[in-house]
Amino acid sequence: MSELITETKLRQLAGEWISGGRRVVGPVRIKDRVLYRPLQSPEPLLIESTPGGSVRPANSIKEFFFPKLETLYQYRTRGRNIELIEPAQEFAEQLIIAARPCDAAALPILDHVFNWDFADDFYNRRRAATTIVTVACSVADESCFCTSVGLAPDDARGSDAILLTLGSGRYEVQCITAKGRALFSGKTETSEESGKAAPAPERKFDPSRIRAFVDGHFEDALWAEHGRTCMACGVCAFSCPTCHCFDIVDAGAVAGNARVRTWDTCQFPIFTLHASGHNPRALQPARQRQRILHKFSIYPEKFGEILCTGCGNCVRNCPVGLGVLNMLTEIQHGQHL
Amino acid sequence: MNDATQFEPKILAYVCNWCTYLGADLAGTTRLEYPPNIRIVRLPCTGRIDFNLLVKAFEVGADAVLVSGCHPGDCHYTSGNYHARRRWILFRELLDLLGFDLERIHFTWISAAEGKKFQQVVTDITEKTRKLGPYTELYAAAPALAKDLPQPQSKPFQLQTFATENELRAEARKLLAEGTVKVVIGYGERGPVLVTRPEDADRLVWNNRSTANLAMYLKRKEVKALGRAAVVVKACDERSLMVLEKESQFERKDLHVIGMACDGMEQPRCANCAVRTPRFADTTVGQVPDQTPTPRPGKLDSLMEMSRGERMAFWVQEFDRCVKCYACRQVCSMCYCERCIVDKNQPISIDPAPGTKGNFAWHIARAFHLAGRCIGCGACAQACPVGIDLGLLNMQLARAAKKHFGYQAGVDPSAELLVGAFSQQDKEEFIG
Repeated sequence: MSELITETKLRQLAGEWISGGRRVVGPVRIKDRVLYRPLQSPEPLLIESTPGGSVRPANSIKEFFFPKLETLYQYRTRGRNIELIEPAQEFAEQLIIAARPCDAAALPILDHVFNWDFADDFYNRRRAATTIVTVACSVADESCFCTSVGLAPDDARGSDAILLTLGSGRYEVQCITAKGRALFSGKTETSEESGKAAPAPERKFDPSRIRAFVDGHFEDALWAEHGRTCMACGVCAFSCPTCHCFDIVDAGAVAGNARVRTWDTCQFPIFTLHASGHNPRALQPARQRQRILHKFSIYPEKFGEILCTGCGNCVRNCPVGLGVLNMLTEIQHGQHL
Repeated sequence: MNDATQFEPKILAYVCNWCTYLGADLAGTTRLEYPPNIRIVRLPCTGRIDFNLLVKAFEVGADAVLVSGCHPGDCHYTSGNYHARRRWILFRELLDLLGFDLERIHFTWISAAEGKKFQQVVTDITEKTRKLGPYTELYAAAPALAKDLPQPQSKPFQLQTFATENELRAEARKLLAEGTVKVVIGYGERGPVLVTRPEDADRLVWNNRSTANLAMYLKRKEVKALGRAAVVVKACDERSLMVLEKESQFERKDLHVIGMACDGMEQPRCANCAVRTPRFADTTVGQVPDQTPTPRPGKLDSLMEMSRGERMAFWVQEFDRCVKCYACRQVCSMCYCERCIVDKNQPISIDPAPGTKGNFAWHIARAFHLAGRCIGCGACAQACPVGIDLGLLNMQLARAAKKHFGYQAGVDPSAELLVGAFSQQDKEEFIG
């Protein structure tokens, strides 16, 4: 026995949330790209990847938990006094619908770092207020590598419910958490069918082999070879479901009245620039190495998990055709061990 | 007595120290009355007024802005006001595209002897702004106003290798083997490659995916460290080399240029491409005759047909997706500043946060720093992960350069750079 929902019902469900004034996020087409965006109506929602189209959105769902711009507090200076103002933040219920499993899986991984030495209230409250419905992937492309980091096209990790396609606009619903059950309660029909995901992409590397390599090759010609064509933008990190570095800056009117948190990335030269002018990561290869190190060695060492879900966004979005996969397959197959 | 409910506009004036400020002073000492709605910021010279200040004035609540300095010929620094005038001609066009209300931006020349004119100008602007009302349109995103531009249908991509690929590889192999160059910057299977050994020359490809403008690598320290370079360019990319050389970014003798004749790559810009074979390369591979494209109205025309409010709503909607990854800057051949203005934080001059204000400030700064320099390679829009049509901003400025100065970046090697030079004949019908 399984539970089933039709595409029409699913859109209806999203529509009910929207008209109830709650935020619903899902993949929509914006020009030649597909992006996760808040929906004004359920019609533009792209539930599945279209053959020949993009396999997954070019951004990730992390921005609905860890937004690109977070006001931490505001302040007012009056003479010599500084008055702090707590932001009037609402962490209203939100629904993320038709997310990919590689996006949802990033959240349990990020939970570690946002609750390590400091419990991040902003992140945690959004996490608690969000229901995530994923759709098992129906296609994969050459940039996909979820299986190499221990996931799969129908992995339910981080999802509250996962949908598996049965074809002709019908989906099998697997509710994973209480939030997922509450969402679909009374909306599904029972069925004998069971859905299926795309065949899993082949494993392209072994993370333990990668870790062994990066731990032992801080200096290696490979970094320069791959890193010097990098143009030092933040596309890989900002479209990555797991990259989470941030900066804290003053924003607002000239007087300055808000302290905000913005995304930052180790790929920017000023990320490690010291006040003295010294930069310990002076050139781009060192910054590329850092990104691999953090994902495949530092994070696993600290939290026991790889900081990567194999979504392939860094590969697809890179303006110069880099991304972690190319480097990792080279390490896997190269003469580097 | 004013009615208590009457709107009192706030007007910010940026004036030069030597003429208009003294003009204002003269108005004061001769007891000429003018409305108290104006706040004066004194700067050394109009040539020193950063364009960002105009935008910033609106952001902090000004309803109108006045910029005023010495009459042409009177500049204390000889030519600051001429430089300023040329920049304003271009900057107004950019603001117009973004949907700013040009009725609220005033330029005048007021000398130290023109106390009376200062009084008149301030009175007129105050009255005019009072009629316009408060500037509530700034960054207004009324959803009803936000329209989308028609999107061209994209054809499914089919990889097509061009016949001259082998010739390119042979040339690269030869240059590396002879030691003429230490590195060849070219196209590879997955993206740009830096080939340093003759035996790796076969990693170079030449196909319809070779769209990037590889001149972007000339600014990279990592590439400079490799030694003398050869760069693979198409006729369109070659124009950026010409601008970079004019701006003293490299010496021509230090660079080997491999020019690839190109019959188009199915990019939007290719439809308007006239010169198909590079003209100034050291080695030219292939030969494609020049074409005479028929200009067709494009997205920029559709955008300019919208109302001012619709244009601003359009850009609010576009910039809302910006995450400030700075890919647009990083892939731009012309963005070579050692430290970009947005990365300067002592003090912060551009709001670093990716909110509406910070995003407008960034995109205005990026586009305007490229005024008269952008050659339209389209790399910025192609790199943008969230699909912002950044090229439209640059295109508007390129059109303005052509319209007002007959100038096209990187076309005529003998032409002076547009910004940084001036002419006494530059038009000034918008200056009071």
